Amino acid sequence: MSKARKNLYEGMYILSATLSEDARKKAIEKITSSINFHTGEVHKIFEQGRRKLAYEVNGRREGYYYVIYFTAGASSMPELWREYQLNEDLIRFMTLRVETVPESLEFKSLATTE
Amino acid sequence: MDRKKPRKEMVFGKRRKSCPFKSAGVRHIDYKDVDTISQFITERGKIIPRRITGVSLHYQRLLTKAIKKARYMALLPFVAQD
Repeated sequence: MSKARKNLYEGMYILSATLSEDARKKAIEKITSSINFHTGEVHKIFEQGRRKLAYEVNGRREGYYYVIYFTAGASSMPELWREYQLNEDLIRFMTLRVETVPESLEFKSLATTE
Repeated sequence: MDRKKPRKEMVFGKRRKSCPFKSAGVRHIDYKDVDTISQFITERGKIIPRRITGVSLHYQRLLTKAIKKARYMALLPFVAQD
C-alpha cells in the first residue's frame, strides 16, 4: 500500500463578526484541531481582522477573516469540508492547493476595517 | 518612389496597449490582492474585457479566475449597487 499523498493547502475562512473574542479563538481552534485530527499539519495562521463583506451573506454584513496554510492528505479534504459546512460560526471557507507558504501576507486592504 | 507607406497603427490612430501583467513579470494572480484585481472590474463589479484593458489572453484567464474566487469570499461584489 502506498502512503497517501499529502498536499499543501491554503484555506481562507470567514468567521462571524458577532462572536466574542473567546468564542472566535475557540472556533479557530476547532478548525485547526480538525486539521490535526485528520493527520494534517498547520503551518501558519494569518489573522486578517474584521472586514466588511462585499455583499450580505446569510444576513451578515461583516466577517472576521483568517488565512491558514496547512498540509493534509487529499482524501481527508472532503471530511474537512463536511465539518466546515456543519460549523455555524463559519460564514464562508475556501481551500486551495498552493505551492509555497508565504512569509507574510502583504496586502493591506484585507486588514483595514472600513 | 521612396515615399513611405503610413504604418497601420498611424492610420487608425491607435497603439496596441501592452499587457500590464506581462510587462511586470507576474507569474500568478492572487485572489487576495484586491487592490490589483479591482483595477480590472467596473464600478458595477463586472469584469472589463481585455480589448479595453490590453491584458493578454493568458493573464485575462488567470485574472477572471482570481476575480471569481474573490467574489465568492465576499472580497469583491458580484453586483455592486450604488
